[in-house]
Amino acid sequence: MCDLTTSWLGLTLKNPLVLAASPLSKDPDAVAIAVESGASAVIMHSLFEEQLVHDQMSAHHFFDTRTDLDAESSSVLPAASLFSVDVEPYLAEIERLRKRVDVPIIASLNGTTPGGWVRYAEQLESAGVAAIELNLYDIATSANESGAQVEQRQLEVVHSVTQKVKIPVNVKLSPFYSSLLAFVRGLAAAGAKGVTVFNRYYQPDISLDTLDVERKIVLSTSADLTLRLHTLALLSPTTQLSLSCSGGVHSGLDAAKAVLGGAHTIQLASVLLAHGPKHVKTILDDLRKWLSDKGYNSSAEARGVLNYLSAPDPHAWERLNYAQLLQSWNPSARLRSNT
Amino acid sequence: MAYMASDLTASRKVQAAVVCDANEAVADIAYKLSEVIAIYPITPASVMGEHADSWSADGRVNLWGTVPDVVEMQSEGGAAGAVHGALQTGALTTTFTASQGLLLMLPNLFKIAGELTSFCMHVAARTVATHALSIFGDHSDVMAARSTGMALIASGSAQEAQDLAAIAHATTLKARIPILHFFDGFRTSHEITKIEPISDGVLHQLIDRDAIAAHRARALDSDRPVVRGTSQNPDAYFQSREAVEPYYTAFPALLVQCMEQFARLTGRRYQPFDYVGHAEARHVVVLMGSGTGCAHETVDHLVTQHGEKVGLIKVRLFRPFSAEHLLSVLPASTEVITILDRTKEPGSSGEPLFQEVGSALIEAVQRGLRAKLPKLFGGRYGLASKEFNPAMVKAVFDNMKSALPKSRFTVGINDDLSDSSLAPDADFDIEPDSVTRAIFFGLGSDGTVSANKSSIKIIGERTPLFVQGHFEYDSRKAGATTISYLRFGPEPIRSTYRIRKAQFIAIHAAEFLDRRDVLSAALPNATVLLNTALKPDEVWDSLTREVQQQLRELNCRLYVINASEVSEKAGLGRRINTVMQVCFFSLANVLPHEEAMQHIRNSIEETWGRRGPEVIRRNFAAIDAAMAALTEIRLPEEVSSNRQRVAAVPADAPDFAKKVTRLLLEGHGDALPVSAFPPDGTWPSGTSQLEKRALALTIPIWNADICVQCNFCSMICPHSAIQTKVFDPAQLANAPKSFRSVKEGFEPAFEGLQYSVQVAPEDCTGCGLCIEVCPSKDRLNPSRKALVSEPLVAHRETEREAFAFFKTLKSTPLDKLPIDKRTAALREPLFEFSGACAGCGETPYLRLLTQLFGDHLIIANATGCSSIYGGNLPTTPYTKNAEGRGPAWSNSLFEDNAEFGFGMRLGLDTHARRARALLMAMADKLPPALVDGLLRAGSGDADLAIKRTLIAELRAILEADRSAEAMELLQVAHALAERSVWIVGGDGWAYDIGYGGLDHVLASNKNINVLVLDTEVYSNTGGQQSKATPLGAAAKFATAGKATRKKDLGLLAMSYGHVYVAEVAMQAKSSQTVEAFLEAERYNGPSLIIAHSPCIAHGYDLVHSPTHQRRAIESGMWPLYRFNPGRVHKGESPLILDSGEPSIDVAAFMETEARFKMVQLRSPERYSMLVDAAREAIRQRRSLYEQLAKIHLDAGVKHV
Repeated sequence: MCDLTTSWLGLTLKNPLVLAASPLSKDPDAVAIAVESGASAVIMHSLFEEQLVHDQMSAHHFFDTRTDLDAESSSVLPAASLFSVDVEPYLAEIERLRKRVDVPIIASLNGTTPGGWVRYAEQLESAGVAAIELNLYDIATSANESGAQVEQRQLEVVHSVTQKVKIPVNVKLSPFYSSLLAFVRGLAAAGAKGVTVFNRYYQPDISLDTLDVERKIVLSTSADLTLRLHTLALLSPTTQLSLSCSGGVHSGLDAAKAVLGGAHTIQLASVLLAHGPKHVKTILDDLRKWLSDKGYNSSAEARGVLNYLSAPDPHAWERLNYAQLLQSWNPSARLRSNT
Repeated sequence: MAYMASDLTASRKVQAAVVCDANEAVADIAYKLSEVIAIYPITPASVMGEHADSWSADGRVNLWGTVPDVVEMQSEGGAAGAVHGALQTGALTTTFTASQGLLLMLPNLFKIAGELTSFCMHVAARTVATHALSIFGDHSDVMAARSTGMALIASGSAQEAQDLAAIAHATTLKARIPILHFFDGFRTSHEITKIEPISDGVLHQLIDRDAIAAHRARALDSDRPVVRGTSQNPDAYFQSREAVEPYYTAFPALLVQCMEQFARLTGRRYQPFDYVGHAEARHVVVLMGSGTGCAHETVDHLVTQHGEKVGLIKVRLFRPFSAEHLLSVLPASTEVITILDRTKEPGSSGEPLFQEVGSALIEAVQRGLRAKLPKLFGGRYGLASKEFNPAMVKAVFDNMKSALPKSRFTVGINDDLSDSSLAPDADFDIEPDSVTRAIFFGLGSDGTVSANKSSIKIIGERTPLFVQGHFEYDSRKAGATTISYLRFGPEPIRSTYRIRKAQFIAIHAAEFLDRRDVLSAALPNATVLLNTALKPDEVWDSLTREVQQQLRELNCRLYVINASEVSEKAGLGRRINTVMQVCFFSLANVLPHEEAMQHIRNSIEETWGRRGPEVIRRNFAAIDAAMAALTEIRLPEEVSSNRQRVAAVPADAPDFAKKVTRLLLEGHGDALPVSAFPPDGTWPSGTSQLEKRALALTIPIWNADICVQCNFCSMICPHSAIQTKVFDPAQLANAPKSFRSVKEGFEPAFEGLQYSVQVAPEDCTGCGLCIEVCPSKDRLNPSRKALVSEPLVAHRETEREAFAFFKTLKSTPLDKLPIDKRTAALREPLFEFSGACAGCGETPYLRLLTQLFGDHLIIANATGCSSIYGGNLPTTPYTKNAEGRGPAWSNSLFEDNAEFGFGMRLGLDTHARRARALLMAMADKLPPALVDGLLRAGSGDADLAIKRTLIAELRAILEADRSAEAMELLQVAHALAERSVWIVGGDGWAYDIGYGGLDHVLASNKNINVLVLDTEVYSNTGGQQSKATPLGAAAKFATAGKATRKKDLGLLAMSYGHVYVAEVAMQAKSSQTVEAFLEAERYNGPSLIIAHSPCIAHGYDLVHSPTHQRRAIESGMWPLYRFNPGRVHKGESPLILDSGEPSIDVAAFMETEARFKMVQLRSPERYSMLVDAAREAIRQRRSLYEQLAKIHLDAGVKHV
């Protein structure tokens, strides 16, 4: 039997399959099923600082300021002092999940202000989470801030958080860095214990009917995996940080690829949203079977064997590969196949 | 000086004070002393029930450690029934009500008193509707309850109301006579003052445990069965009715016992009658309620300052009336007594208090208890919260001393009709300089009242000063004017009247300077604070000449701030409460500045701390920014403005509007004499168009070049402030430059005609719905729609001119085209510019109703939001067309509206039948074509036009004929043209209080139409749950989220088989709405339309209501359907489903509205359970409807 135990962020997990930050973790029943089906850790859905601010101000607007409007109604909704719209509901969710499942709970924090990152991180630590995943989801829309400035700002955020909490801090990254490897080195220096590749961007579409921007969430597919594999393969030999693969793992075979690329853990979201939380078991069984069939004694043994250093042809991960591909591509054959 | 004051509250300094209003103070006591609280919302008592509900939801316990059961019933009648039942089982029970609510309780109050049941209820006394509804305070409701057998106890202030509430609860347990404790609506119920609370320890000592045990021992119980509530015959009833008498005889002494015990425990002493004034008074005034405060202050002044021998008797116990206790406090020296009643009993020989005091004194003289009968005069004052001030009290004393006193008078009005009124000395003012007085003019939505309540709490609870805050509102929902009167002083404040002259005047919206004379209340050297969007150096020149003169003459100090800007920059939107509160404390010098700012910060943290740090951070930021932005304007020496305040109604307004409406609008209604008013409550319609409120900061401006002429904008506008019209281009000859129109390009029948979209800039509330729904986008710049939001100031003049021209345009006749959502929107609205909330989801249905049937429409309107924005003075929105036809509208009550409209149908039908009978009787004298035409059925536009022509022809013949039958036919000839009767009301009426009547009327098979404006909550009284509240939503009395399904009113109506039923949602699917309205009107029987009406109580910004409504439909929460019994005869299923299978999960709908979201925030587990239950309810309802839509009913026997 292949041993799937993995060490991630200093935590020992029974296997690499982790429930990713997603709407799924808002449903305690679904989380419990996923854990029963084999998930080794749960990352909570993200706590968005801007969402908290928005919720606080909305509640203030709808409850606190719609008072004394006219002679007949002192207010329009019931007394509003009964609940909090700060971080408390999120902490209560953590508490509920901790009671419900016996795997590590990792909080996910998506901040916008230096103060917010630190304050919330401290509160999350107090709530007993095993680790914090910082989601550096940041759309650079200013032409006045250089890439270096953006990175510096982000490193400062990570540093400020790691200084304040004792639990491991994992950083979830976007793919869009000029030099991801260097940035990850910076993260290590800032105290991060791991990185997750990659965040899946909210990518609005354009509606041709309404001439407007259309907000929608698109689930990942296995096609998204290759970008992650590429990065894992490059990072794996160069960093001591824990690596987590997020986005594009839809089967046990996809998971196996991520492990071979160098991932300590694999985060599952879209596949479970599509097939339900029980699907963790299918992926886990397939991963274990593939590893066993291939003769690996443990997932740790398989981890990184196809990374940039270990791959039979490391150049396949490089630019050279791109040139070869271009040369071998036959446009006319492709066109013909479409007709 | 021989001065007597039997109530000692005046002389004691408050120790551990709280600042609250009487509603809160009384609710607190009633809650602590009750086990069951059954209520129904009614202004101004709703707040007491809401407090109780909120405390119960929080798990607060009563004096004995249990959480009272607080239940909302379907009506006050229901609440009284529940109270009666709970009492029968021995539960300590209370309720709160007012006005019509109290009247609905009367039958049970007779029962409760007849059965000698210990019970205390609390009434925020309010005017009973007569010629008009009024939410304000007087004693007409409690006086209507005086024959029930309830004891009546009156309080005149929040302190008294709290204290007497406790005393009343204690007394009823001992005396077994139930007690109705009352205090004046708004003046006392809503006035915030500093009071000394009653500790639980005091209550424990006050409430007799043995008396509770006895009350419980009298309960019905199967272990010791008895029969109560028998039916009695002439042999038994009278005697057994008289058997209660000893209890009434004993009551005053028992009350005195409790009062004395209370005095020992608290130091605050009350008596059944309290005397204040000269020990040897010759002239005494007797009254009860809040007016006693003002009278007390005036008597103090007259005795101590002028040595006058005058006195005041404050009536605490009105019933059982104790002559003995009255005589015990009435000085023997009294020569003249004036009894003031705050109610009117037309045709009586005297109002109730006058009669009681008079009888008592006559009897006292007769029995030799008093040597001589003083002269007795009676007067009325203060109806519907009419101002009652010291000058009026003095006028009452002056009347007593005059050579020819008026024996039955009014005071506070100018009665030029019956010459009943006294004339107070306008200059008589007794307010001491030690009292700081401030007046604030604000808008309902800007937070002025909330800010002032907070300021009073800060000053009252953190300084030794006594405080008083009184708030006046007009009844509009959008742009309501609020006036706050704040007093602070070193002595208890009894001034239960408006501030006449203030040291501080705050004008929270600059337009008040142009609308009313706000500075007339300024004292010399007053501080004036103005919130204005103008820069400080622009302010002086912007003022009218009158304002500049007043500021100069009074030597005011003028401070300005752009509070809206400061607030918006701090991220607080347009709510300027924090900013203006900072300005007040910075200028008023009530507290040292830094200390005041710290108090504000503390108050913000205490009030909103749980809301989250961002709320605190932004409010703190607003404090700092406000201090920085407050600027003093040095007044120039010269008055320079040439601009004068314009009249509130235009110069070409009808005479009545100029003489009456104008004064009401300008805040001078009190000065109007009795003769100015219609005696029967009948007012001209269509006056809202005279009042240009200019509430919007931004208005929609039409880009004609990209408009697709869909009319979505005019269809959705809640205020008819954007209108669309198709017209003959020949009319453009005199068009002003500002007017825009384009060729009509979408309807072949309109070939060659012009089309225009026009905003009424000064009537628009700026809700933004028209822009939200506008589908036309500039393909090169998609953010530019056919309607764009632009600042009002930039377009006011041009759009005003354009709108005036638009109104003169004669619309192309539309009668040849079928009525659909496009053509309906082009028809003339006869409901415009109401006072409804910006973005109101109800009013578009009413506008549509008038567009479809307005020229022959009669509306019976249930009390609620729709009766307030539909019929609240000074101006009303139902109007008429160029021919003078339009909706005739009336509001009877809340509970009886279906029956009211049904009666209208009966009356109209009777006249129609009589007219037809007379027509046939006279047929040989009339042209046959005329008779045939008039007897032909038909109510469409074309039929009505023909009939109107024929009726005119008939009238001419009848007037020439002059026979008796011709004369009678003349009176009823109008009924030969069909009238459309619509019964309109909200869900509170249709689902709850009026359901019994509605059900009966629907069962009647008469040709009436019912429109239910379903906001799923009691909107008007502030968001209490109704049976229309959806499962999972939080509402008052369902704070944890309603756990039961929304009543399916439509399904209940369908079950009759003969009722046309439709559920509609106009913002999402107006075509179906228009179709349903037309089908309902055509259907010759009862019709019920249930209309989804977005409301601020749903907890989202109403500009997004079309999206929310769509989601409600898509989730299955609000299915659209039409059930037409007529289809059965065609062999079709009567039910048509107009919305498909639910396409989004109900949770996706629920999570976007605060009413559901707050349930989730309070308890995610409960929320999750409720979402599941809502999902299941939707599934079952859909399944049932789908099965119904497929049924085939045998057409059966055809009606011949």
